[in-house]
Amino acid sequence: MYGLVHRGGFWVGMAAAVAIVLPLLVSSGFAIDIFIRILLFAFIGVAWNLMGGYAKQLSLGHAAYFGLGAYTSTILLIRYGVSPWIGMLAGGVVAMLASLPIGALCFRLRGPYFAIATIATAQVLMLLFLKFRDFAWGAEGTTMPNLGDAPLMMQFEGKTPYYYVALALLAIGLIITHRIERSWMGYYLVAVGEDEDAAEAIGVDATRIKRNIYLISAFLTALAGTFYVQYIYFIDPNTAFSFNVSVEAALVSIVGGIGTLWGPVVGTVMLESTSALLQSWLGGGHGGVQLTVYSLILIAVIVWRPSGLIGILTDAYYRVGRAGAVRAKEVPLDG
Amino acid sequence: MLTTVAQAVVNGLLIGGIYALVSIGVTLIFGVVKIVNFAQGEFVMIGMYISFYLATNFGIDPLVSLVISMPVLFVVGVLLQHFLIRRVLGLGDMPQIFLTFALSLLLVNLALLLFTANYRTVQTPYSEAAIQLGTLYIPIAKLIAFAVAMALSGLLWAFLHATDIGKAMRAAAQNRDVAMLMGINPDRVFCVAVGVALALAGAAGSLLMPFYPAYPLVGQVFVLMAFVAVVLGTLGNIIGALIASLMMGVAESLGIQFVGADSGLIVVFAMLLLTLAVRPSGLFGGRNR
Repeated sequence: MYGLVHRGGFWVGMAAAVAIVLPLLVSSGFAIDIFIRILLFAFIGVAWNLMGGYAKQLSLGHAAYFGLGAYTSTILLIRYGVSPWIGMLAGGVVAMLASLPIGALCFRLRGPYFAIATIATAQVLMLLFLKFRDFAWGAEGTTMPNLGDAPLMMQFEGKTPYYYVALALLAIGLIITHRIERSWMGYYLVAVGEDEDAAEAIGVDATRIKRNIYLISAFLTALAGTFYVQYIYFIDPNTAFSFNVSVEAALVSIVGGIGTLWGPVVGTVMLESTSALLQSWLGGGHGGVQLTVYSLILIAVIVWRPSGLIGILTDAYYRVGRAGAVRAKEVPLDG
Repeated sequence: MLTTVAQAVVNGLLIGGIYALVSIGVTLIFGVVKIVNFAQGEFVMIGMYISFYLATNFGIDPLVSLVISMPVLFVVGVLLQHFLIRRVLGLGDMPQIFLTFALSLLLVNLALLLFTANYRTVQTPYSEAAIQLGTLYIPIAKLIAFAVAMALSGLLWAFLHATDIGKAMRAAAQNRDVAMLMGINPDRVFCVAVGVALALAGAAGSLLMPFYPAYPLVGQVFVLMAFVAVVLGTLGNIIGALIASLMMGVAESLGIQFVGADSGLIVVFAMLLLTLAVRPSGLFGGRNR
């Protein structure tokens, strides 16, 4: 057991080292762009996974918080000149506040109807922002003011600094998940996810635990929203509240391994690199290819291996490990 | 003013008939198989494309192509249940939700690849025709769609109450284990239930074709309405889904008339969230969730 944890730490260190030096080795803007997408969606997946994976509250409306984060920081930046670094935290707080009434409403439902209700909340927010023409630019959206190389305003020259911001976000998300996984809260979450009624029967306050994890999940998702619009220099309701964000958050977690620390990361690397390969192979202009492939992968995972890629990897690891152990035993017998 | 309201109510009722076909399918699958089919709207889309291609390539009227789209989708439904849904029954929420959700994504994006995002319409002699009834204006194509939708709903009701397989379906919906003890084969019943539900979606597609454009995302409009109607009408309750669908149609139509053209969906979502807040078990029943 010690060996496993120890080796786990070794691999995490390796992965972190590779992630840190990667942009120094790769100069192609296209590649860096893909890496940033991977880090960002892995981070959104990590945020979704806290609630969807551990507590099994399968939200399909995380775009609501992504959008609120994006709009809060943008409005603060353009209307009041507030730095997006502060706007990012403000967006997180706004998302937390919004998650309270949304959660109060949606947590009355379980399973598929919870998912549908969360879709509805994200869509309502999008429709509202489409209507707010004076306050939030309506359907046309707006571009970010170009401030040149202004790290204090979350604007950088070149893509590499954005890469490190995204990497930092992902690291924060993983550390928070790791901490929660090892705490009482983590056990409560898993209990609620396994069987809510049974968890309540043994004294877990399911309502409170779901509300708390929703607060954390919403906060983190909002940070991703701010980062994304700062990175692409543009915001409109269809980008900020895009249903695809909600879908991809869930998708990367499920494909990678729902309710596991590294699942969303593994899932995003797999899906985004598949998508990038398809893009360079087919070229642009093939609307639908990416999501067709994603949905086929998702169906395959659900039907054959609901524990996701992490499940496959773990099985392979143990099989190799056991084979090694058997061989080790056989050696003295043969000799 | 009164005329405007009456006209909006009529428009809403007519489109509500189509919503009813979709939501009855959703509620039937939910009642019998205990799965929420997120892809139900995409089968409406497939029904529309079937009718579109039969109309443009063979000159078959969309209303006639109903007799093709319904059986085709029935078979698709049986295969779907047999090869995919059956594998995730009893596996918990995640696989059950995300299987049909992934199917919906797949069908939308396949349609985008195969048919592009272009709007496809079929012109029929009655597409533009309308009956003038006093001050009310009733489009013929929508009236036919409504009438056929109501007839199909009636037929389904008769099927569920008068035939052995229909009764077996209701029995399986009430209590799967006891139904099995009575010699009902749940696999067969589930296949028929999903088949019938998809056939209804196919019918909705063919009925829509004379007055509604087909495009890959068209199903989303109808499935959202259907979900709201199914929640409003109490999950698994077919009559409830029918009445709620007609109400949704009227609510949406009034929303468009009096709040603004892009507010139909806001009204619908607001109704959904309000229902969930006030009466999560729906208007017609005490069963929870």
